[in-house]
Amino acid sequence: MKKFILSLVCMTIASIALAQNAQMPQNISIKALDGSTVQTSAIQNDGKPMIISFWATWCKPCNRELNTIKEVYEEWQEETGVKLVAISIDDARSANRVKPWVDGNGWEYEVYLDPNQDFKRAMNVVNVPHTFVINGKGEIIWQHTSFVEGSEEELLEIVKKAAAETDK
Amino acid sequence: MKKHITLLALFFASIAGVNAQGIMGGHVTGNIQLDGQISRSDSIIGAQDVPEMLLLNSRADILYTNGNFSAGMRFEAYQNPMLGFNIKYKGAGVANYFAAYNGEKLSVTAGNFYEQFGSGMILRAYEDRYLGLDNSLLGLNVTLRPFDGVTIKALAGKQRYYWEYGDGLVRGIDGEVNFNSIIKSMSDSKLRLTMGAGFVSKYQDDQTIVYPYNPAYKLNLPLNVGAGAVRADLSYGNWGLQAEYAHKGQDPSIMNDYIYREGNALMINATYSQKGLSANIQAKYVDNISFKSVRSESGEMLYINYIPAITKQHTYAFLSMYPYATQTTGEMGLQGDVMYKIKKETLLGGKYGTDIHLNASVITSLDSKRIGGAGTLGYETNGFNPGELYYADASLEVAKKLSSKYKLTCTYGYQIFNPIVEGHPGDLHHNHVVVGDLTWKINKKNVLRFEAEWMGSDSKYSSDVDDKRCGDWIMGLVEYNFTSAWFVSVSDQYAYKDGIGNYYNLSVGYTHGATRFQLGYGKQREGLLCIGGVCRQVPASNGLTFSLTTSF
Repeated sequence: MKKFILSLVCMTIASIALAQNAQMPQNISIKALDGSTVQTSAIQNDGKPMIISFWATWCKPCNRELNTIKEVYEEWQEETGVKLVAISIDDARSANRVKPWVDGNGWEYEVYLDPNQDFKRAMNVVNVPHTFVINGKGEIIWQHTSFVEGSEEELLEIVKKAAAETDK
Repeated sequence: MKKHITLLALFFASIAGVNAQGIMGGHVTGNIQLDGQISRSDSIIGAQDVPEMLLLNSRADILYTNGNFSAGMRFEAYQNPMLGFNIKYKGAGVANYFAAYNGEKLSVTAGNFYEQFGSGMILRAYEDRYLGLDNSLLGLNVTLRPFDGVTIKALAGKQRYYWEYGDGLVRGIDGEVNFNSIIKSMSDSKLRLTMGAGFVSKYQDDQTIVYPYNPAYKLNLPLNVGAGAVRADLSYGNWGLQAEYAHKGQDPSIMNDYIYREGNALMINATYSQKGLSANIQAKYVDNISFKSVRSESGEMLYINYIPAITKQHTYAFLSMYPYATQTTGEMGLQGDVMYKIKKETLLGGKYGTDIHLNASVITSLDSKRIGGAGTLGYETNGFNPGELYYADASLEVAKKLSSKYKLTCTYGYQIFNPIVEGHPGDLHHNHVVVGDLTWKINKKNVLRFEAEWMGSDSKYSSDVDDKRCGDWIMGLVEYNFTSAWFVSVSDQYAYKDGIGNYYNLSVGYTHGATRFQLGYGKQREGLLCIGGVCRQVPASNGLTFSLTTSF
């Protein structure tokens, strides 16, 4: 047990010592809306920032977040080149309802399914909504759990910063 | 477990050591969660007596990633398990560990892993931390992607059973082909087609189960039980069709009272969608499909497959008060959904448009005739004829942004619930539910949300059945959010007629980045709770609850 605790301490020190941003995991299998399997390496935006949002059809705050951003998404894209990628964690109970849900809501996002939550585990997501900002180098530079009207403004600030870094 | 801990410690210490010197690079990420409750017993809401006063569940996932290589472990402690969690979880230790290589064409995981074939009808190793479910497999999992559009999975392992592993050995293989990737001329086709098939076999040693009709004999149990499934996902433009069929060989177990009938399940889903309008209809047929790696396990663990309820997962408290759970012994049902957006600048759409969402479902038992008990084929079914009504619901939700400050959602739902699905026969419950949900964005930083719910039911509380959901209810909730950082919510659910119970609750929470702390006081029903901007399952409690989650 002592060794175990020691190793935890070592790891924590090591991770602090190397406090650089973690890369978004590649080669995790997720599903596209047409049922085909793709790897997370397919999530790309030509060196521009991305927002990755974990959500579910049954999660009201998630839907509020995606519907709120929908209204400003075009402006955000023009301003920063950002792309929002929505990862549904709906399981077999509601996974088939995701595509109609996305179309019915009129979302223009890139949407994938993570029905057995492999990507969710790899990104250490505990509750939904959980939103990440990925910079042009594929690094996770910001994350936040929960959504309340108005907090999209904070998200935009982070995206703008990431976009400015890319342009340098 | 001790031996594992030492090995792991050495493993991680070496990684961390090398890591700190910057030789290997890589990253350590993870998440930590603490949930606790200080409870008082309350027979009226069903909160049990807790002699130890404080119940605490905690866990930490640590994940090391370096390029295509990753390794991880999970520490869990239940001291003692919170209400709603099995007492067998009591204790602390390393519950989960693995090392994995995830390449472009090959993925290999050794240790604990999660996996799913198709929709999970024959295999789904998954976890739900809030329900205390974890049927991860300990063993080897290999995925091959020899070329674009083809995925082959093979695995073998034993399932987690609280702090141990079940006796049954699970082996499986699955293949999936995406025709748009492998056939060049189809790559840009409007027709999208993916097909797959899988096979799972479990092995468990023989044991003595007495034949009830002649105690001198014991049942001749199959040691290997196989299950196979085929599936297809087809879409053309706005139209989509998904289907999966599973068949299981003879699998006498405590779940089906040791009958020898083979199992079948079929799920079909059809969708139509365009921007602003979508519909889907789902049909399901389940006959004796419970598939566990240990035949004598009757609890929530050791399921190899996953057959979800197809009914809509409601999120408002009264609509989700009577959740439907799949009857894996046999059921059939239909579920339909329609979403429509009334356009902006129309009479009904107003300035921002209006969202309308309709749903309806009906689930029944199979029309079957009993032909015998343990050791026989059990029963016969009458084709696709429906039997007794288990559950039906219909709901209409209208959501409208009234101005830049106000958003209103109104919902009406009707439900018929048969208490037999929870194991106790009784009269059908007929419930009407009305919900009003108003969000008021005062300014950029201050948001108020009000929720009012009413449920009228023909059910009456009786001490024999002791169902605390019976009767007519009203509920009110006020939630105040100061930016996305702080929230306070106050709510009360009160049975004003034919029922008992008064669930009052005060919650405060603080969120910073991926860290969140929440404190609650009052009485709480078990179920899905969405306040302060997140959704999670919560156990029944009475007293003080707190929760801390963080990801790094």
